[in-house]
Amino acid sequence: MAIEGTHLVQAAAFLGAGLSMGLGAIGPGVGEGLVGSKACEAIGKNPGEAGLLTRTMLVGQAVSESTGIYALVIALLLLFVV
Amino acid sequence: MEDLGEIHQLIVPLFGHEMTFNLEPIIMTWIVIIILLIFGLLASRHKNIVPGPVQVIGELFINQFYDLSEDALDKDLGRKYAPLITALFMFLLFANWIGMLPHMHEPTKDLNTPLSLGIMGFVIAHYTGIREKGFKEYTKSYFEPIFFMMPLNLIGELAKVVSISFRLFGNIMGGSIIILVVSYLTLSLVLPPFLITFFVIFIGAIQAFVFTMLTLVYIAVQVN
Repeated sequence: MAIEGTHLVQAAAFLGAGLSMGLGAIGPGVGEGLVGSKACEAIGKNPGEAGLLTRTMLVGQAVSESTGIYALVIALLLLFVV
Repeated sequence: MEDLGEIHQLIVPLFGHEMTFNLEPIIMTWIVIIILLIFGLLASRHKNIVPGPVQVIGELFINQFYDLSEDALDKDLGRKYAPLITALFMFLLFANWIGMLPHMHEPTKDLNTPLSLGIMGFVIAHYTGIREKGFKEYTKSYFEPIFFMMPLNLIGELAKVVSISFRLFGNIMGGSIIILVVSYLTLSLVLPPFLITFFVIFIGAIQAFVFTMLTLVYIAVQVN
């Protein structure tokens, strides 16, 4: 079976999707971990405000997650559209 | 597995142009609206000092979101915008949770729904900004630190819409794809219930809350 140009393009798209997801997941992982650790420290210092802190932590984590979600969208585009 | 990237579309020709309707999100959105109407009817029909079980859930939503929006905006404006915020949260919550049921798809899985809700929030935030501060103050806020920062501020405002809607869309779409792939691998027996508990119920509730809170924060940024 001869390898044609479209096969190469598809292989490159699959590789790009994997790379995009793998590299793009580093930043949100580190960021969410930092947010969680700081929230744990704050709850340890001030347990009365645990509800407010948890709410703020979840919103912050969801915001810092968005770059990972962009990577996911790019990966889906590469998988299904290219 | 074959229907992973497939979308059912209805294409209507109209004076030489084509109108495309994505059927699934439209039907699912109407189902969500009907569920919400039934919920509202049940919650408010037999109003009593001693509330019934549905009325308790309704009062829970109302209390939480009135408190949140009165914290973010001030007292009068908060009471004015709280119904919008509550309705947005309840719609998104039911829209994300409807994916639990078999043969149901979340309307937020299609990019059109989050994008239209994001644009709605954007328009409401800027309308509120113009009405509260006056047009002159509103325009001045674009030239804030120095004059030539105007393009950056403009792009920043537009990027808010993209980020808020793509976040919701990507989370729901990614979760449903993971559930689909794992159900295909394990014959839908063991793992999918746990995955649905995490990706649909937990992530769906968190993302609905985040979308609502960010819309509220955008309105609050425009007001102050």
